[in-house]
Amino acid sequence: MSEPTTDRTEATPGAEPDFLTVRGLHAGYGQARVLQGLDFRVARGEVCAILGPNGAGKTTTLRALCGMVRGRGSVTLNGTELLGRSPEQTARIGVAHVPEGRGTFNDLTVEENLRVGAHLRTGPRRRGRAERAAVAADLERIHDYFPRLRQRSRQAAGSLSGGEQQMLAIGRALMLRPSLLLLDEPSLGLAPLVTRELFEIIRAVNEEEGTTVVVVEQNAQLALGIAHRAHVLEAGRLVLSGPAAQIREDGQVAEVYLGVSVRSRKAG
Amino acid sequence: MNAVTDFLRQVVEGLGSGAVYASLALALVLIHRFTGIVNLAQGELAMLSTYVAWQLVASGMPFWLALPVTLVVSFAGGMLVERIVIRPVQGAPELTVVIVTVGLFIFVNAMAGLIWSFTVKDFPQPFPDGGIEMAGVRVDWSTLGIIGVVAVVMGLLYLLFQHTSVGLVMRAVACNPSSARLSGIRVGRVLMLGWGLAATVGALSGVLVAPVLFLEPNMMGGVLIYAFAAATLGGFDSPVGAVVGGLFVGVAETLTGAYVDVIGADLKVGVPLVIILAVLLVRPQGLFGRAAVERA
Repeated sequence: MSEPTTDRTEATPGAEPDFLTVRGLHAGYGQARVLQGLDFRVARGEVCAILGPNGAGKTTTLRALCGMVRGRGSVTLNGTELLGRSPEQTARIGVAHVPEGRGTFNDLTVEENLRVGAHLRTGPRRRGRAERAAVAADLERIHDYFPRLRQRSRQAAGSLSGGEQQMLAIGRALMLRPSLLLLDEPSLGLAPLVTRELFEIIRAVNEEEGTTVVVVEQNAQLALGIAHRAHVLEAGRLVLSGPAAQIREDGQVAEVYLGVSVRSRKAG
Repeated sequence: MNAVTDFLRQVVEGLGSGAVYASLALALVLIHRFTGIVNLAQGELAMLSTYVAWQLVASGMPFWLALPVTLVVSFAGGMLVERIVIRPVQGAPELTVVIVTVGLFIFVNAMAGLIWSFTVKDFPQPFPDGGIEMAGVRVDWSTLGIIGVVAVVMGLLYLLFQHTSVGLVMRAVACNPSSARLSGIRVGRVLMLGWGLAATVGALSGVLVAPVLFLEPNMMGGVLIYAFAAATLGGFDSPVGAVVGGLFVGVAETLTGAYVDVIGADLKVGVPLVIILAVLLVRPQGLFGRAAVERA
């Protein structure tokens, strides 16, 4: 497995710069206003990392994008406004959100979890042979990314390890064939080795499927390793945006805003 | 040998009443899985369904046509209850929702009394009189019929949940509604479906027990206690547990009534309460339920 720190900035597929456009996004919970007006754009096929300390509003940003929390401002995906829609509606538009803490269906088997992900395409009105074949092909594709899921196909999701559950959650999200994949702290609670494997897979998915990814991470170095662009969030505002490589190289900035010494970690 | 056949006869009879408890217990468990609460009005909804069946039969419809019509009406009624009564308090503390079901209990009970009066009505016996001898044990047709109808409905439910995409989606919602939403599942509709199914299964218990208990607005009170015992015994999270628990409670009730002189027919109502108490003391999650343990 290669070191996930290659410079991907030049590889940015910038043909359509406005795939996901966030303008003046405010969001919060009740009285607590978490996001104080975010503006950023993600190009189609790009991996965008949102970094920042605890409580900066990273998770809230993702939740506002998928409709789990209400937001003000404007969020458009390929020209379609996302704000004001429920999670089930944004999922139907092509937004797949993998929540923090994974959110697998623990009573269901691994394969059933994946099939739930594909249910939008196998609903009562679409049960043709072609659809079944497509779902089978998708299962195969997910299994290729996550060989461990193939082995555990008939096991209950609740019996998987934390890393496997995270893989399953991402696999299920991919079964939606999303155009936008939102990942909330995929490394949370995982062993470093498993985390690296996971990020390599995320990178592969992005490269092979062209899925646009917005990933929220505490582990800045890992996220910057697979991202094209990165935004640093602090107290509900963007304090730094730029190509991932630039932010990674700017060790001083990273140290100030991320509370980690990116350079020394990289060297170590 | 006579003692053995008599014992077996009691067991089969117990399975007959157990099938009734099982279906109401299954309704309770379905609601608990989908909504996270115990629906105290489940028995009253079943009673209402039974009145619908009675009304259909009284107006000349043959029972075996009235039964499926009643089940369909109950299904629609259960969905309406979810949409109109439960949805507005969704997300409220559990106690609030439970109190709402108490209100529903009182409302449905009073409505039934208002429409059909509180006088006891005779409910037609759908199964032929008499019975057959099986291995020297005499079994009434009515007992066999109840067991058979419940078994068929349970089998259909099993197929629905385990082998259809709708069932898969329903299980996903029961397991983790917020992740289901993120997968594009319209959770509200699935919850309506769950309440509809529960009302249907519950209706079955009312219609099947009515010929034995006679029809009146308070007929399901006792059955609900037995169903609670069954669901507690099997585990409030386990549909299979509800069925096994129901059968067990039915058999236990019949056997203690027949063989323990001190208890007899009068005190056997205490049996489910003893079962509830014992289960809660020894194994609170029930035989098939899982203790609430969360992975850190």
